[in-house]
Amino acid sequence: MVGVQIRMVLVMKKYLAVLAASTMFVSVAQAQSIKIGLSGPFTGGSASMGVSMRDGVKLAVAEINKAGGVLGRQIQLVERDDEARNELGVQIAQELINKEQVVANLGYINTGVALASQRFYQEAEIPVINNVATGTLIAKQFLPPDNKANYIFRTSANDAIQSAMIVDEAITRRGFKAPAILADSTNYGQLGRADLVKALEAKGVKPVAEEKFNIGDTDMTAQLLRAKNANADVILTYGIGPELAQIANGMAKLGWKLPLIGSWTLSMATFIDNAGANGDGAEMPQTFVQIPTTPKRKAFIEAYQAAYKVDRFPSPVSAAQGYDSVYLLAAAITQAKSTDGRKIREALENLQTKVDGVVTVYDHPFSATDHEAITANIPVFGIVKGGRVEIAHPEDIAGDKALRVKAH
Amino acid sequence: MQILAQLIVSGIAVGMIYGVIAFGYQLTFATSKTLNFGQGEALMLGSLVGLTAVAYVGYWAMLPIVLVFGLMQGAVVERLGVRRAIETRSEAGWIMATIALGIIFKNLAENIWGRDALKFPSPLPEAPIGFMGVNVLPMEIAIVVGALGLMLSIELFNRRSIYGKAVVATANDRDAAGLMGIDTSLAISFSYALSSMTAAFAGVLVAPVTLTGASMGGALGLKAFAVAIIGGLSSGMGVVVGGLILGVTETLTGYYISTGYKDVPGLVLLLLVLSFKPSGLFGKAAIKKV
Repeated sequence: MVGVQIRMVLVMKKYLAVLAASTMFVSVAQAQSIKIGLSGPFTGGSASMGVSMRDGVKLAVAEINKAGGVLGRQIQLVERDDEARNELGVQIAQELINKEQVVANLGYINTGVALASQRFYQEAEIPVINNVATGTLIAKQFLPPDNKANYIFRTSANDAIQSAMIVDEAITRRGFKAPAILADSTNYGQLGRADLVKALEAKGVKPVAEEKFNIGDTDMTAQLLRAKNANADVILTYGIGPELAQIANGMAKLGWKLPLIGSWTLSMATFIDNAGANGDGAEMPQTFVQIPTTPKRKAFIEAYQAAYKVDRFPSPVSAAQGYDSVYLLAAAITQAKSTDGRKIREALENLQTKVDGVVTVYDHPFSATDHEAITANIPVFGIVKGGRVEIAHPEDIAGDKALRVKAH
Repeated sequence: MQILAQLIVSGIAVGMIYGVIAFGYQLTFATSKTLNFGQGEALMLGSLVGLTAVAYVGYWAMLPIVLVFGLMQGAVVERLGVRRAIETRSEAGWIMATIALGIIFKNLAENIWGRDALKFPSPLPEAPIGFMGVNVLPMEIAIVVGALGLMLSIELFNRRSIYGKAVVATANDRDAAGLMGIDTSLAISFSYALSSMTAAFAGVLVAPVTLTGASMGGALGLKAFAVAIIGGLSSGMGVVVGGLILGVTETLTGYYISTGYKDVPGLVLLLLVLSFKPSGLFGKAAIKKV
């Protein structure tokens, strides 16, 4: 018993010494720069989204640093590639929190990685702004009163918003009566399918077919024939680029073309390029389309193209949401006059300055109970046309409707 | 009826893809009783090398480049991963070695070509051909014809040419072949080269339909392995029939039962074959002398 106590004291002493050393290190580091974590898949099937997000974030950080930084200090990004793997995301979160001691984290493309990793930030009371992942649960995982405070924020349109928009577009606006749902077998696809079914039910419509496919499937004949036999008049999708392209190509093969309406991933370059002409006409909710409809968007598009020497963004939505997440965080740190996680969170929940972003103008984007910056009125429908994403209904962005702000 | 015909046609096209990859497994198993578990990666490398070559030399001139590349890639796999294991009579060394090489090839491809799925140009028109209400892509017909053509020419080569006979002799009895003056280790190298060449050719053949990319090998390589087990690793004909069986079962199950269970009957069939005829539907039961 005594031995145990002595050992405990020794361990405590060692721990305190490490703690003292690390706080000293931090105080030195802090005088130089503010460290912000940046995690996402920069390789792998989701890389086009991850890399666009990263590039958007880096662009904003470069602009802020050029203008003098935040609180007179430069922002330093600590980038980590999570490869869309949950377990790697967890490791990275622990490394960024304990070793790098970041003051906040930006990123996450994949809902699974976000859900697995963000709890470590929550426990360490360090804010996370999810700028791409769409799983409905993400910003609701640590709601008060079960938790003291929620440290997880989001700047993307969640799946509940997207599925309601998809159903609204298909049933109400375009008047289809017999939707078939094609979703992949991942969490993303199956949770999205459930959201779609729920949204259809609210309109009193039952899908005539609900079909599943696996990542890597190359033949969609069976799924499409089932939808065809059920006399579907529109196909609603929840999946990612390559398989969505196989659906479009499969319809062309069967000589049976139905309109495709689905989640925002229909704007992925892997869908557009691999489906070619077969993908024309596909519609999806977008928070940002690569069209200069406001001066801010024009400046952003030009700066991105110049910085990364591309014409078409690999994933415009990810780039814009990533870019905006940095400005929101910077505004919160400025307001908090501190890099303390708790103070940054409080500032985010009660942001006094309006942040003029690419997606929207953020006027009190978050509150203590609402951590979603995007509401259903902000995204518009994009449509694939000749290898690019255009606005599906130009009247949606006509005049002052180009800028859509959060409904409070 | 029309739907059934359409499902069968699509199943045959998919099954032929599995079959031609499985044929590669069969080639090396015959000579050395070892397999290249990186067969899917050989397919992927072939199709990505083809994609790059098409941009410079056009579609038809790309084909010989891919074939030569496949031959070399296979020889490298045999030299690095398999030869030592055979020399030391290691039971499992080659399994890990070929899997490891497959992973290395995949990482290499990710660094060169990225990890997104890429579109492969189709040499044939992409509009479907309708025949009595059944639609088929010209490229799907090309896959069936190309795969059968390739397998027939390799069989002919093995039966008619002196080099092929050396390979067959090695397959029949390695020790006896060695005593007859055949360089059996060269014959094994050659079978690996041929096997990867088949895979590389299959890669460019199927890529216009399946898309290409660093991750294309994984799923296809595994399905083809199941096909090789169903059809029998010792029979070239068996793997073709095995591929067709698996492809058609998949599309039929997807339509008549549920797309959620599409992969199940193929695996059940695999288990059944393993229980009742372990050497495969067309395999010759081998008596292992110890």
